[in-house]
Amino acid sequence: MNKRRQREYKGRIDQVLATPKLQDALHKFGDAYLVSRDKAFTGLDFEALRSEIATMKDGVRENRAELLQQFIQNAEAAGAIVCLAKTAEDANAYIAELAQRKGAKLAVKSKSMASEETHLNVALEKAGTQALETDLGEWIIQLAGQRPSHMVMPAIHMFKEDVAELFSKQTGRQEAAEIPHLVQVAREQLRQGYMDAEIGITGANIAVAETGGLVLVTNEGNARLASTLPKVHVALVGIEKLVPTLEDAARIIQVLPKNATGQALTSYVTWIRGAVPCADEEKELHIVLLDNGRSTLAESPQCRDALRCIRCGACANVCPVYQTVGGHVFGHIYIGAIGIILTAFFHGLDNAAELVRACIGCRSCVSICPSKIDLEEIILSLRETIGEEEGIGAGKNLVFRKVMRNRKLFHSLLRAASVLQKPVTKGERTIRHLPLFFSSLTEWRTLPAVADKPLRDLILQQPQRVEKPRYRVAFYGGCANDFLYPELGLDLVTVMNALDVEVYYPQKQNCCGVPALYSGDKETAVELAKQNIDAMLEGKPDFVLTTCPTCTMALQRDFVAHLKDNPAWAAKAEQLAEITVDAAGFIVNQLGAADAFSQLATSEKVTYHDSCHLKRGAGVWKEPRELIETSGHELVEMAHADRCCGFGGSYSLTSHPDIAKMILKDKLIDIAASGATCVAMDCPGCMMQIRGGLEKQGSEVRAQHTIELLAEAIKSSK
Amino acid sequence: MDLLKTFCTAAEAAGAVLVECKSPAQAAARIAELADGAVLLPVSASCERAQLAEQLQTAGVRLLAVDRTQAADAAAGVTSAGFAIADTGTLVLESTAEDVRLASTLPPRHFVLLDRSKIVADGLAAVTPLRQLHQQQPRNYVAYITGPSRTADIERVLTIGVHGPKQLYILLLDNWSSDLLEM
Ligand code: SF4
Ligand code: SF4
Repeated sequence: MNKRRQREYKGRIDQVLATPKLQDALHKFGDAYLVSRDKAFTGLDFEALRSEIATMKDGVRENRAELLQQFIQNAEAAGAIVCLAKTAEDANAYIAELAQRKGAKLAVKSKSMASEETHLNVALEKAGTQALETDLGEWIIQLAGQRPSHMVMPAIHMFKEDVAELFSKQTGRQEAAEIPHLVQVAREQLRQGYMDAEIGITGANIAVAETGGLVLVTNEGNARLASTLPKVHVALVGIEKLVPTLEDAARIIQVLPKNATGQALTSYVTWIRGAVPCADEEKELHIVLLDNGRSTLAESPQCRDALRCIRCGACANVCPVYQTVGGHVFGHIYIGAIGIILTAFFHGLDNAAELVRACIGCRSCVSICPSKIDLEEIILSLRETIGEEEGIGAGKNLVFRKVMRNRKLFHSLLRAASVLQKPVTKGERTIRHLPLFFSSLTEWRTLPAVADKPLRDLILQQPQRVEKPRYRVAFYGGCANDFLYPELGLDLVTVMNALDVEVYYPQKQNCCGVPALYSGDKETAVELAKQNIDAMLEGKPDFVLTTCPTCTMALQRDFVAHLKDNPAWAAKAEQLAEITVDAAGFIVNQLGAADAFSQLATSEKVTYHDSCHLKRGAGVWKEPRELIETSGHELVEMAHADRCCGFGGSYSLTSHPDIAKMILKDKLIDIAASGATCVAMDCPGCMMQIRGGLEKQGSEVRAQHTIELLAEAIKSSK
Repeated sequence: MDLLKTFCTAAEAAGAVLVECKSPAQAAARIAELADGAVLLPVSASCERAQLAEQLQTAGVRLLAVDRTQAADAAAGVTSAGFAIADTGTLVLESTAEDVRLASTLPPRHFVLLDRSKIVADGLAAVTPLRQLHQQQPRNYVAYITGPSRTADIERVLTIGVHGPKQLYILLLDNWSSDLLEM
């Protein structure tokens, strides 16, 4: 691991966390965005639309050579000059040389992320051509000497006062910090540029192979001016922007503005094919097709889905990490989830490494992506690559390889910890303060103590009276349930028994491997997968139940992925995946017992927190709500119910506690605002985070697992 | 809802102003009222057929020659739409002729004449005439225009007229043109 880089990044996080104004703006934007997006998609089937885009884009990747050929042929037939640039340097050199040849003093630019990617402006300046950004947001950051902090709204991190100050310097007058006025200033200041510039530079959102034409999706109208007034038009276009037909382009246009900003359509969609008339002559149109790592990306089976991206920027809009630290910290040139991946391929793994680690893995980006990219999975695979290249750190290495892989050693250390922690727990179940340099861990939340006896011991002592069991299920506890919250496991037995289901606890089960995987140690994760598959299948259970959605994802998804190419294990992994189900989902879907607890509970006002991996991984979110309501509670929804709580395992404990703390703060505000006296959830990790935060606040609200609430209802009715 | 209604609702939601007209003469009169200065009128088949230039002049509008220097001083551009897209309230302008682009980008006001019958349902339905436009000419500049020029780049506050027209007027007519490919 690169310590210096890590320290530097940490410094940048600290710095940005000190400016709450930015977080406030990004939170407000995130909320407003979701409202307008919902409205824009009313009556449309988002899932169907994004499946279509994904399939189409995958086809483009597979047939990219032919489509590129077709595009170039058609573009050239229409009088365009096409350059295929392998690298950013090639693209810049071509454009700079062209500018020199034209004796261009000024080039007007409309927004182009590709030109940010290649640092084109720097190359042009060197060639003696001034590049003038005309997109309002781009112009603002150009004046400020910064880079975009969002792909669609480059200056989202700035406020009108900042803009007024920049504009005042530019005009030499005192410009008022009023938005309509500032927009008018920009209009006036930039207008002459279009007339004077010898070259207009744009990007393109789509390149249509069928016609050899480009499509520009814009709001301001500057791309129309930049592609009309100067004699020369240069379009810098990433080769992933190719689509086969006009219909395919229409599908992207239908979705892009809606998902980007919640607009039905941008003010302008401009279809340009070839060299069109320009002041009694013909326009000189150069199309620079940029590869710069895209072909390498296409060759990576783990990451290539990222080429489906249509650059809507939504994966940042909804990302809790982005909302907390902004795009300058959670991005390089490209930002947010897709930015992490593109950075790795376009700007090198070193520039992506810290970003990869800063993702908390909440999968919000995955559910909003209009190209159906499993961004989180790709980020995870990059983490693994980085782990292999840079190592994961000596400490983690020791824990994962030497301890966790050896179940007996791991578990005896955990048992020892329960004794050793005695001085700090003071006999209580939670740790409120830790001494010395561990103290930061308990500054903003308490931590659960390691239980005196783990679930694996206690469960053997719990009598089970199920006369004629409907099912015999194996319980996969996971570390938190086993060693921190054994009572949750016992509650599960109570609930299952009430439903005529017998539960047993395979003693050889080990950690699900997610902590190792998230730290980039895939080898340990694979070893643990094998141990668990054997342990869980051994007793031939009807189902395997989980109370932790992260474990559920491991058993349902990760084990299969790890072992799919291993003939000795693939089928067994599939088998385990098929019978694994989370407890709430099992009760409602497999047992059909949603109303089994009807009105047993003493009614309480309960709000529900969706765990990231349960809702966006296992697809379970209705079921626990149904159980809570039918059992007699009053369910009140909190705002942002499915927003991450900031736990993320080692994310909140060691790697990024400062970001985790802020995300938790948001969650606690939403919980309090709901007016509930209990917040329910289906994840021991979330319990640790939320319960710890509530306790530290001295809040009266209790945090319970849905299964605990059901057990409580059963017990109270007896 | 019929296409015209859908179109009108969406166009207004995008910030366009609808002007119902009974005849080209009435359209010319409305332009005269609203233009607030000299006007650019690029050549178009439907405008010629209706003798719009004469009608505008009769209504007291000063017409400028469409070239770059004059275009910058014009108060408004007047163009005719090939067709419109209902669900997003979008106008489709075949803008390969540079005059159309100048008239629709530079002046602060843009008037677009649209025959009420030339409306397709959505972006996908628009592909058929769009493809025909591509087949008709070897090179193209086709513009989809939805509302006035806008930005939300400062504090995400929607603000109109940053580079293109600040006002977009859609003049709705019957028997103006029936060919989706005709401007
Ligand atoms: S998984 Fe969550 S934290 Fe990671 S990039 Fe996606 S939205 Fe952000
Ligand atoms: S990855 Fe998906 S959500 Fe993110 S910018 Fe690309 S298309 Fe949009």
